[in-house]
Amino acid sequence: MAMLSDLLRRKLIDERGREARLGDLAVDLSAGDYPPVTYLTWRLPGKTQLRAPWGAVRGVRSGGRVLRLDDLEGGEPVQEDWLAQAVLLKRDILDALVLDLRDRTALRANDLWLEEDDGGFSLCAVDASLGAVARRLSGGRIARNARRGLHDWKYTEFLRGDPQAARAGRDYHGLIGRLPAGEIANLADALPYLHAAELVTLLPDTKAADTLESMMAERQLQVFEELAPEQARRLLTLMRSDIVADLLGRLEPERARYWLEHMPRAQYDRVLRLLRYPEDTAGGIMTNDMVVLREDLTVGEALALLREQLKRPDFINFIQMVFVVDDEAGRRLRGVMSLRDLLVADDGRKLAEVMDPYIVTLAPLETASSAARRVIDNELTGLPVVGPEGKLLGVVTVDSALVLATAAGWGGREAPRLFS
Amino acid sequence: MTRNTPVEGIDPVAEVEMPNLPGRARAIHPGLVMRVRGRFVRLRGLRRQPAGVLRWLAVLGPGLVAGAVSNDAGSIATYSQAGAKFGYDMLWIIVLITVSLAVVQEMSARLGAATGRGLLDLIRERFGIGWALLAVLVVMVANFGLVLGEFVGIGAGMELFGVSKYLAVPVAAGLVWYLVTGGNYNRVERIFMLMAATFLTYPVAALLSHPHLPDIARGAFVPTVRLDPAYMALLVGLIGTTISPYQQVFQQSAVVERGSARHHYGPERWDTYAGMVFSGLVSVFIIIATAATLHLSGKTDLNSAADAAKALQPVAGNAAGFLFGTGLVGASLMAAAILPISTAFSVAEAFGLPKGIGLSLRRAPVFFGLFTLLLVLGAGLSLIPGIPVFQFLVWVQMLNGVLLPVILVFMLLLINDRRLMGELINTRLYNVLGWATCVLIVVSVAFVLLQQTLGLMGVRFP
Repeated sequence: MAMLSDLLRRKLIDERGREARLGDLAVDLSAGDYPPVTYLTWRLPGKTQLRAPWGAVRGVRSGGRVLRLDDLEGGEPVQEDWLAQAVLLKRDILDALVLDLRDRTALRANDLWLEEDDGGFSLCAVDASLGAVARRLSGGRIARNARRGLHDWKYTEFLRGDPQAARAGRDYHGLIGRLPAGEIANLADALPYLHAAELVTLLPDTKAADTLESMMAERQLQVFEELAPEQARRLLTLMRSDIVADLLGRLEPERARYWLEHMPRAQYDRVLRLLRYPEDTAGGIMTNDMVVLREDLTVGEALALLREQLKRPDFINFIQMVFVVDDEAGRRLRGVMSLRDLLVADDGRKLAEVMDPYIVTLAPLETASSAARRVIDNELTGLPVVGPEGKLLGVVTVDSALVLATAAGWGGREAPRLFS
Repeated sequence: MTRNTPVEGIDPVAEVEMPNLPGRARAIHPGLVMRVRGRFVRLRGLRRQPAGVLRWLAVLGPGLVAGAVSNDAGSIATYSQAGAKFGYDMLWIIVLITVSLAVVQEMSARLGAATGRGLLDLIRERFGIGWALLAVLVVMVANFGLVLGEFVGIGAGMELFGVSKYLAVPVAAGLVWYLVTGGNYNRVERIFMLMAATFLTYPVAALLSHPHLPDIARGAFVPTVRLDPAYMALLVGLIGTTISPYQQVFQQSAVVERGSARHHYGPERWDTYAGMVFSGLVSVFIIIATAATLHLSGKTDLNSAADAAKALQPVAGNAAGFLFGTGLVGASLMAAAILPISTAFSVAEAFGLPKGIGLSLRRAPVFFGLFTLLLVLGAGLSLIPGIPVFQFLVWVQMLNGVLLPVILVFMLLLINDRRLMGELINTRLYNVLGWATCVLIVVSVAFVLLQQTLGLMGVRFP
């Protein structure tokens, strides 16, 4: 076992007695949970940087102060593009931000723990403790061995703070995608925004879209603007229309127009309808990705149709309630039913017979806060928003209502916002 | 609530009663008409650049507030001292410093916007742990001095109301600790800000005291350099109070926290400039007000808050003490809450320790420990009997001036790093101004240190 800070203090000595300081260690991040050290680099006085595979190291004694090599001058000169591609422990990982996926926290790598096996070393843990700071500042005299604050490398994700790196296909652990989207969003909220954008870039599209949906509004905007246009376009297609509308509403008008023109027609229509309403009204917080079925369908037909619709990737979202309308063009709301009611109803009956015609509705220009209160008071998963002629416009879901309600309720608990 | 009973033949939904529309809903957000995909659509919240006066207000707002409240106990003391002792002679320094301040603060804001990270965070990653420790120490020492200064200010301000500082200071420290750790600080910040806003009476006081305009103009634009120790020390104090290390760190964190992205950096710049010009104006008015009253009446050494308060007499007459006390206590309370918490935040940031008000003492012991320690030590030391209040406040600002170059050098190195800054990298003009500021500060600090040391040994220099 060795700490990186300790290894970096060792001298390199070759057969002819020449000495050099160990410069850095390269690891192969893609090789499993505990990445092995592949190369070491050093610089002889007045020469360029040299490197050698770790295998060239002859004697490694854990307690010793030296590493032996055959010939220090015989190392390969380090090429620029290798330097750009390689992950170097000291340059890249030490002192950088690392995510612990088990604790869902961002850490600073105050030191790294390498484990020795068969003469090689591999990166095993990140030391994030204050002791590691003391160890490095005291040249290893204080807190020689890490005891607390170690974080298993197996459960960490190392970020470079550069979304470009993720796009360029650099090595990542790739574990982050296994967390639920909400948790990734919380992490992204706590990270510097370039790290957050890098994180989102690493995710597969559906998860990235969910993550972006759950982020805080400002962070969402920052991250979105850092994404590559192609990924941004795909995510806009996958995200909930109401969130897309809010996001576009905060962009510069020219950028918003660009995205409105470059998203698929169906999503464009939905988003545009939502963008009509001022932000602080029921229309501004509603979504219009919901299940809408004609009243003259039978339950069996409705279920089959619903199944087909849900298979399409861009038709998503609010499925807890089914809205029954007179016809597709007019979309006058006739009744609602829960998905559960639809599933248990007899196949042969018409929707008009099984739906609940008692409807509590919201008006699109009602204030957002009163709409939110009514949704929560009704203890329903959502309330339909209906225009003057009974036309179904959208639904204010209980989650959007809660976001508003909690923002008001928790707002006062924000400490100086800067440091919460 | 609208609950319709379905009746045969009547559409249950069509007769839904429209709830009372909020009167403003239809009218506000008149919306932006935009041509998308070949047709014109009217959209709600799409951001339009506000025009005319509104545009200026929106851009200037936050900067103005920041500029107004950056005048804490120490600044007021230093400006008052400068005005009382040397009349209008130091005004030109304020003019110069304001330019430097604008340059430096703009760089802080730009660093924050381009990287989305705090200053100590960047120092740690770019220069390693040793340099980060140096920066942390500098920030801690400078900020501790300020915290101490704030409590001295609170004590002095409350004594104007006849409340003993031995009662007021511990209560204030307890209050600040409770407000911040309990997460209630934001609710009361406005009250503190309102109290501090009484300092905006300085311009009125300055006008009412009938200052001699040609003298002011000469003071502001004709440099009068004196090399005597009192003048030079005050000069470093003025630099330290105007451009303090704390402000750089804070400005950067504030920009990061506000969540501005690097693609939209433009308007922030004007916000910063406006705030700094405003802050410079406030300092100028304080100096004019004190110069026109205290200096002219021969009162050139301020020893207490009561002395400094006399500068407000043209406005408030006998109530000057109350007015000054209110402002002093408000500004000091605000700074006494923000300074320790932002110090603890920076330190935790540099060492990668858990931080944030939302955490518990158990999860973030260093963060909360440091916060509490700064408050307790600051409040405790400020109660040492017999410290010369005003002198002390000025010393703290000098200490800030001495430590400032360290932070400035880090900033200038970071902001010239293309990998970090990309397009927002420093231009040549900014580099010249930035390094010039840095060099001038180093020279004057070195001069003062030399002068003071020689002075202690009984040698007069120059």
